Amino acid sequence: MFARRFFISFPIFAVIYILQESVVSQFKIFGGGFSLFLIFALLWSALDTPEMGALTGFGAGLMMDLSQTASGPMGQWTLIMILAGFVISYLGYGDDNFRGNPISLVFTVAAGVAITRFIYLILGLLLGSEIGSAWSVFASLFSSAFWSVAVVPLLMPVVTRLHEALFDVKSRI
Amino acid sequence: MRSGGDNRGRLLLISLIVTSLFLITLDLRGVQVITGLRNGSQSALSPVQSVASTIFRPVGNFFSDVTHLGRTRGEINKLKAANEKLRQTLINRKNADAELTQLKSVLDLAGTAQYKVVNAKVISLGSTSSFTQTITIDAGTNDGVRQNMTVITGLGLVGVVKMSYPSSALVQLTTDPAFHVGARVAGSQQIGILSGQGTRKAVLQLLDNQTTLKVGDVILARGSQNNRPFVPGVPIGEVTTVDNAAGAVTQTADVKLYVNFAALSVVAVVVGAPKSDPRDALVPRPPVPTPVPTVTIYAQPSESPTP
Repeated sequence: MFARRFFISFPIFAVIYILQESVVSQFKIFGGGFSLFLIFALLWSALDTPEMGALTGFGAGLMMDLSQTASGPMGQWTLIMILAGFVISYLGYGDDNFRGNPISLVFTVAAGVAITRFIYLILGLLLGSEIGSAWSVFASLFSSAFWSVAVVPLLMPVVTRLHEALFDVKSRI
Repeated sequence: MRSGGDNRGRLLLISLIVTSLFLITLDLRGVQVITGLRNGSQSALSPVQSVASTIFRPVGNFFSDVTHLGRTRGEINKLKAANEKLRQTLINRKNADAELTQLKSVLDLAGTAQYKVVNAKVISLGSTSSFTQTITIDAGTNDGVRQNMTVITGLGLVGVVKMSYPSSALVQLTTDPAFHVGARVAGSQQIGILSGQGTRKAVLQLLDNQTTLKVGDVILARGSQNNRPFVPGVPIGEVTTVDNAAGAVTQTADVKLYVNFAALSVVAVVVGAPKSDPRDALVPRPPVPTPVPTVTIYAQPSESPTP
């Protein structure tokens, strides 16, 4: 079941990845903007079981590692996205009060984006990357959370409908 | 919340984590397959990025303009009246003209220093998920662009080629936190190391504790051995504040970079350096004040005043 779901999701993630790398990266907006791919991956994971969330995170992380703009070694995003995908789906799994509430999902994904990037930063530091001034890091994290709050409500109806249509599970919010 | 996963789920999670750790280890040990994967993905994506750049860059420029509206409001108001008459005729050529201007200024700079350059268009503005500051340009190894070549605009240093692919290249910007360049102060020739800070402001640390910096000093690239990664003499920025903290081993200063990284569209990669160091020839000239014409009127009183 895991493999089937993984391979069904793959083309969708590939399209979002191409959109991220070729279209979203053209926009220079406040604070560096947002990562459509990261938001999509976390949102997709949040709608599934923890195991599937981890597997989604694995696939998404691999793609993010393949990006020429990824600063860390291959596998750094993969590791973090496995954990992020697992945690974000574990948080609401089996709790309809949580998963059925769009506001909690918006804020969870927005916080998830900022926390994921922060952990990426910390792991990058441990692996010898340089991160720049504290102000630029703070501004970048804050703006990514801000943009996520703005983008997730727009993306959520599409993602939930797509998820429901593909896997025939009740995930629409 | 769920009380716990089944054994299969745990096994899957552990397998995925081990795989990712394995990938990190392979990459850190420099296994070529991993680099090949990244190069392959970029080679496949660069044509798509080029097309997307052509289509979406005007929209991207609009967002960039909106972001800087507050900071440049005064300037915009002053220019608005003058631009109004020209807007209708220029609207269709706006993007092309902007690129032409950048291209001309970069060729002026390259011509003065006798750099051999390859011009390139910016096709992507870098990552929004990681903390690196990079751009992707549409010139690559097919055009003679190689790793560790200096990238400039008409205003000065943009960065250095980090990776080059057949038809595109990844450029690490001067603002990148991991960016370091040997720099010297125009005139006094003091040397130091300039580091990116993630913003348009960089930090210069002098190497000699006997010398002093002052606000307004122009900072130039010092140049590297065999001119790679940096050719000498490229303007970088201007000192805005000097840190004179007592007890500091060497003096540090904040440097405002000349290049506006939010509005990059055309850049040049220096593929051939001059035989001689251009020294301070590329230091930007200060603006010359426009002389105000004065008229002297001599009044001569008449000899017989009228009653």
